[in-house]
Amino acid sequence: MPLGEVVPFRPMSATSEVPAAFRNAAGDRGAIRLVREGIADIRSRRRLVRYLVQADIRKRGADTLLGNIWWVLDPLLQMVVYVVFLSIVVRNGPPDYPLFIFAAILPWKWFSASITDATTSIVRHDQLIKQIQFPKLVLPVAATSAGIVSFAFGTVALVILMLFYSSHFSPYLAFIPVIAAVQFVFTLACAFLVAAGNVFFRDLGNVVGHVLRLWWFLSPGLYSLATLEQVPLFQDNPALVTIAKMNPFAIMFEAYRVVIYGTPTSPPAAPDFASLATLLVASLGFLALTTIVFKRLEPNFAKVV
Amino acid sequence: MAILRRPPRIQPRADYAIAASDLGVRYDLRFTKKTTIRSSFAQMVGRGHAEQFWALRHMDLRVQRGESLAVIGPNGAGKSTLLQVLAGIIRPSEGAVDVLGHVSGLLTLGAGFDKELTGRDNILLGGAFLGLDDAVTRELLPSIIEYAELGDFIDAPLRTYSAGMRARLGFSIATAVDPDILLLDEVLATGDANFRAKSKARVIEIVAAAKAVVLVTHDMNWVTEYCNRAILIERGVMVLEGEPADVVELHRVHTEEARARATEAAQAAGVDPRIVHIR
Repeated sequence: MPLGEVVPFRPMSATSEVPAAFRNAAGDRGAIRLVREGIADIRSRRRLVRYLVQADIRKRGADTLLGNIWWVLDPLLQMVVYVVFLSIVVRNGPPDYPLFIFAAILPWKWFSASITDATTSIVRHDQLIKQIQFPKLVLPVAATSAGIVSFAFGTVALVILMLFYSSHFSPYLAFIPVIAAVQFVFTLACAFLVAAGNVFFRDLGNVVGHVLRLWWFLSPGLYSLATLEQVPLFQDNPALVTIAKMNPFAIMFEAYRVVIYGTPTSPPAAPDFASLATLLVASLGFLALTTIVFKRLEPNFAKVV
Repeated sequence: MAILRRPPRIQPRADYAIAASDLGVRYDLRFTKKTTIRSSFAQMVGRGHAEQFWALRHMDLRVQRGESLAVIGPNGAGKSTLLQVLAGIIRPSEGAVDVLGHVSGLLTLGAGFDKELTGRDNILLGGAFLGLDDAVTRELLPSIIEYAELGDFIDAPLRTYSAGMRARLGFSIATAVDPDILLLDEVLATGDANFRAKSKARVIEIVAAAKAVVLVTHDMNWVTEYCNRAILIERGVMVLEGEPADVVELHRVHTEEARARATEAAQAAGVDPRIVHIR
């Protein structure tokens, strides 16, 4: 096609394709409108999200000795570290302890990697943001979606591990994608918040790193909720147990663990659907909230980055 | 909740491409400096002070179809900010802009989309960023590659490109979509003489096709030769709008005055203006 010819862009409206809010000083949009805009942003730029994810994966795969094998090795090696460490500190842990903690390490790696990546997702593209107008929501969405791929690779590690602990193998493993879907919604909501926040506070990345570490150790990943309830501090303060149970990752880790590992005394079973459903609803609400915050702050990104 | 003010309405008419009324862009220096949580706390408790800065104010502008408007002025006058507002990248703090048609902008050129990707992947990614349909981008791919004159480098990562090559690629992508309104920021100065001539021809072509062009440049010859109108911006305010020759002349006079003032100030301070102190 010669360059001079008119190329159909999107259906051309009377004004341009830039949202009206970017053209006008007045008129902050209502909350529901912002959420709807956010959904439209992502839907209209699905391909952009896909390209960004592909680019990310290609980059991480290239220039490394083992390429994508790292995504399989990484959670396994982390598990080994914890197993070695905890076998020194705690002598009698639950049986098949490696699988016990792996059920939590696998989803946590996805979450922490996505959040860390999302934190810098906006500021990393500062040049682009100053050059062209595009929905900035795609950047944290791409960061979180790229995590799905590494999570998928991580399940390969799970399969390998399952070969050693074949007694835990059960059809309940099929529930993993269901739990992962809930996790994705929750992760996305958090990703929007840290991505937008980091534009205005550049040291948020440091805070996020520490918060993540603290969150991991406070969540029942290396231990179960049942163990927590036997700790004297928690026995004396039942309120603390309630708080611990409200931790989204308490619900998710317990769900992942019950389908992958079961409990120390019983075989794998179906997850607690009631708490998963509650978490899903709460996460969707949280996601709507962070979308509104993100969309409110979005017009200022180009000035600040 | 604040009472919603009705935005100033501009009647959409087909005879203009861009209409801006009482445009103003305010920067909050509190956030433009690399902010940390600590410094924000300091401001909250009253230490440090929030500063505001108007990069652009009271700008009324109308660009007709087929017009080529030059924006000139000293560094830091707000020229690039104006283009960013027209491109919809920055939201005006005051007033409104109405744009009829698709805008394609080449603001700070040469950044590329992703340094690790090849030129070809960058075109696809760039198309996706610009909101182009993938089929359209793929269709345009050969012509963009050919126009950018990158040869075999098109399949090499962008980080291996020279600045000129990146500029060429950026220019080809931005102009290949055949925009109704093209915004150019200092891009005519990039590339070798050959490509400069070619890009000049392309810009003239877009103008001729009844498309509007707004360009920021320091190349005064280009302004007088190829633009049919010019505006002079100084310190965020439009000083003059009119015939390119007149505007260029005023800019020249102002620049000389500024230089004379700087020399005077230096002499008053007892410094030889010919000696430049490098700190």
